[in-house]
Amino acid sequence: MPTTESFEPEQLLAAARAGRREGFAGLVRLHQARVFGLALRMLLDRFLAEDLSQEVFLQLHRSIGSIESPRHLVFWLRQVTTRRAIDRLRHERRVSTVPLEENLGLVAPEPPADPALGREIGALIERLPAAARAVVLLRYQEDLDPVDIAQTLGMPVNTVKSHLKRSLALLRAQLSAVAPVETVGEA
Amino acid sequence: MSEELEARLKAALRPVDPGADFTARVVAAAGSATEHSRARRRRFASFALAASVLLVVLGAYGWRERQQEAGLAAREAVLRALRMTGEKLDLASRLVNAAPAAPATADPDPGA
Repeated sequence: MPTTESFEPEQLLAAARAGRREGFAGLVRLHQARVFGLALRMLLDRFLAEDLSQEVFLQLHRSIGSIESPRHLVFWLRQVTTRRAIDRLRHERRVSTVPLEENLGLVAPEPPADPALGREIGALIERLPAAARAVVLLRYQEDLDPVDIAQTLGMPVNTVKSHLKRSLALLRAQLSAVAPVETVGEA
Repeated sequence: MSEELEARLKAALRPVDPGADFTARVVAAAGSATEHSRARRRRFASFALAASVLLVVLGAYGWRERQQEAGLAAREAVLRALRMTGEKLDLASRLVNAAPAAPATADPDPGA
């Protein structure tokens, strides 16, 4: 049986859709950092984030027949992860002040250029409300534009822009106290 | 927003690897969920089969009961009809037996 290590995303998806365990495992390996990163920064708890990530991938396993393309898969994973995380936060009303990067033993693919600044940004993002946090994560972790963020979260584009504007103003103001940022304009 | 702040945000918010054994755990859980789902389908199929057999047995029993009831009703109707027929025949027989014998007819023309 050929290994899936060298498979392209299309081939992995086709294999997973055909019910091949290796195909699904390949898809999990390919997207787990994205899903876990979103879950962790939304829920602020490694155990809860692993639990949520596993739920998302199990739901993917059940719904794999409805995934049409690798692009659709990425959209689906972002949408299910962020929406489930927001639902959990609203349900649990969980508040954490534990610095994320410092205390949770995170393993980033590459360490940030300035670890102290990375920790500070992570801690500031934790203080944002759930929906605003999801918007900022999708914008800066996933590199989505406001229209794609609006589609992913099912909210109006203007609401996304408003969340971004307020969140960035907050980040800018608080970051300037830690490490001066050069002149900033609007997003 | 300055490019520098955007770059800092992107640098701070990169994907996070959940650890080496995450994939294996998810795949194992998916396999277990699939097996659980199959077992649930098997249980449902067994239950559906048992329910179908029970329905067939109950249906056959009910049909047999109705047939027996219909048979008994028909038997009762036949007996009633026979009883009524017997009564009528008995009545007719009594009437026939009770009728006076007709006198012998005299020859109107003995000399002929």
